Amino acid sequence: MAISKTKRHRMLRWIIQISFLLLFIFFFVQTRYGLDITFQNLFFKFDPLIFIILSISERTIVTAALLSIFLIIGSLIFGRFFCGFICPLGSIIDIFDTHAVKQYKISLSVKNGKYLILLFLTIAALAGSSFVHFFDPLVIVERSLTLIAYPVVTYLLDAFIPLNNAFYTETLIAFLFFVAIIGANIVAPRFWCRNLCPLGGLLATLAKFSLFKFTFAEHCEQCGICEKICPTGALQYTEATIDSAECIDCLRCLYECPYRTIEYRPTVTRRPFDITRRQFIVACGTGLVAAPLAKTFLHPKLNGRLLRPPGAIPESDFLNICIHCGKCMKVCPTNGLQPCFLEAGINGLWTPRLVPRVGGCEKNCNMCGQVCPTSAIRKLSLEEKTYARIGTAVIDRNRCIAWEQDKVCLICDEACPYNAISSLNETIRSTTLLRPFVNERICTGCGLCESRCPIEGPAAIEVFSIDEERIKTGSYITEEKKRLRACEERQEDIPSGFILDDN
Amino acid sequence: MITRRDFLKMGAGVVVASLLPKTLFTTTEGASGPLIGVARGESPNLVKTALDAIGGVNKFVKHGDKVCIKPNISFAANIDCGATTSPEIVKQVVELCLDAGASKIILLDHTIQNPQLCVEESKIEEAIIDKDRVNLLTLTKERQFGEVQIPQGSELHSVKIAKILQTADTFINLPTAKSHSATGVSLGIKSLMGLVWDRGALHRVNLHRAIAELGTVMKPDVTIVDATRVLTTGGPGGPGKSVKLNTVITGTDPVAVDSYCVGVTQWYNKSWTGSSVKYIVAASELGLGEIDTSKMRITEIDV
Repeated sequence: MAISKTKRHRMLRWIIQISFLLLFIFFFVQTRYGLDITFQNLFFKFDPLIFIILSISERTIVTAALLSIFLIIGSLIFGRFFCGFICPLGSIIDIFDTHAVKQYKISLSVKNGKYLILLFLTIAALAGSSFVHFFDPLVIVERSLTLIAYPVVTYLLDAFIPLNNAFYTETLIAFLFFVAIIGANIVAPRFWCRNLCPLGGLLATLAKFSLFKFTFAEHCEQCGICEKICPTGALQYTEATIDSAECIDCLRCLYECPYRTIEYRPTVTRRPFDITRRQFIVACGTGLVAAPLAKTFLHPKLNGRLLRPPGAIPESDFLNICIHCGKCMKVCPTNGLQPCFLEAGINGLWTPRLVPRVGGCEKNCNMCGQVCPTSAIRKLSLEEKTYARIGTAVIDRNRCIAWEQDKVCLICDEACPYNAISSLNETIRSTTLLRPFVNERICTGCGLCESRCPIEGPAAIEVFSIDEERIKTGSYITEEKKRLRACEERQEDIPSGFILDDN
Repeated sequence: MITRRDFLKMGAGVVVASLLPKTLFTTTEGASGPLIGVARGESPNLVKTALDAIGGVNKFVKHGDKVCIKPNISFAANIDCGATTSPEIVKQVVELCLDAGASKIILLDHTIQNPQLCVEESKIEEAIIDKDRVNLLTLTKERQFGEVQIPQGSELHSVKIAKILQTADTFINLPTAKSHSATGVSLGIKSLMGLVWDRGALHRVNLHRAIAELGTVMKPDVTIVDATRVLTTGGPGGPGKSVKLNTVITGTDPVAVDSYCVGVTQWYNKSWTGSSVKYIVAASELGLGEIDTSKMRITEIDV
């Protein structure tokens, strides 16, 4: 059976879209402990929205996404090809659009939304807070893969191979967010891309000035097919106009026009923005209010259990630089890195925190810093990581069975890879027994003790962010710390397992 | 009761032993006490020598057997630390079993730290050559463990033990000798906790007695203790003082093996005997074996 030319072109675009989506998913799957992570952040490196918003909010050039210059230049030449061919969220939206919900389309356009969200992000960034993580399409896909797909897939695969099931506390919110974006297709195809996506808004702004545009040639037969098939409503055949800002370069009009009326060539015509003054003021005003609000949401003394991954930069910088993509949580081999809800404020939603009860921070792992696309968690060597202190363990003697019930437990001592827990004889109610003590000077807060504590419910040894260290530059390793670790020989009394009288 | 066959075997053993040159080994001859094989040195035949002293690997592994070996890979610690069984010793045991005709060997543990990191640090995968017949399995799921009643239990009435053991023809316990902050030493019987689902449950009761009760339902066919380097303080996870002994101890009586091993070095810079370790005493009281080293038939060989 011969495939028509139209179909061939449609398929070609599909193949390109699916390839990029699969590449994105491949990088996601490869974000695993022990694997080479050189290329895994490739997509994020090309994201101009991340580059611009992070750079503005941190008042510095964020080199992590410097390659996005190429996407900016590319868009200035070809328009929004990224949206039509590369964007994984766009491809996912297309998958759902073509198969499921086409017949329920209702026309509705709030296309200024994407510019207003972009404006909001920019103003908020100028005012010192980055909200890019809520809206960037690459981040949304990466996070949805981590928080939604990964737990589901490991759960299903578990029937065949015993795995450590991935578990995340804020999966539901991420799921609702994702469903809302996909579900908006019911209102109009690519609703998100056309109306809300700020990366789309940024590229649309560039596309207004793009060198190549789709245009009508003279001989249009007014059949109207092009307008019917245009997925973004960029095209009006009665006026013979194609809005290059709305067009995502899907090429359908070009190949599906029976009269070959539409051309893709250098054009200078340009449409102005039609944002009203009211819209402009609302977007700017929201940004100006939201930025300080995000920063004043929580009292710092309420953050005692907020443990950031080792090497996380200082909190105010961290909240701006972290794009909440979830890579660190995906890669964490103990599953201890969990998404925050509101523990770190509104802007801290989905930021990583260590929940030691789920899993501690293993001594021989520094993967979270290795995979972080924006270096919100610094790339530390394995040795330096062990010096990056994230908190201090505290024993609750009322709950500890060695203290309260005279049990020979000491699993915390066993679990501590830094010798920061000493088991010393202590007489309580005339029973002399080894009981655990934390050596606060060398505890790093890794939480392995908390994860292993055998009592039900909350552990009897818990890590608090006491003495956590967050530095943006410079080494965590100091001579003082090295000296402390070397000279603090573990104090050890003879274990209770020996019968002393015999000796 | 001694059957005629046992009697003849024993007699043959004595004859063979007496034919070997005296300078190579010393034998403490008890009448019918448990056999303990001890080999010292850096030879690649260390395990073989120690096993030969108690009857050879063929006594435990028959042609076509499925063998479960339980090394200690509970901690993601450097192999020189002594917190885990040395990959060289694991390799020797695996190769002996393969030579004896084992059809399948499963090395298994329920690690304390993250399984992936533990396996990586244990360097055991690199030591396994025949990957078709030998698998390294870390247990991670409750469903991999089956409930077992403990008739003699007073602290523990039932315990969940790795199910795969039930399908094995031979079970070899391959612990590393190390100190332990709670039990003093961690040797053969203590190491069996590594195949239990809820280890915490043992800590919530009288730990020493619970370990001994575990020994009543988990009976390895042979225990091979890796004492090539011994973590004498800071156990079970280290870091601590590591002593190089280049010794392997074998035996079928778990209490005898553990009791003998207590004497191979100092623990916490003091000398101890098997009867000064609470869990070994408890195991002996439960009738699991001989605690008195003077009643054991110990063969010590330098290779």
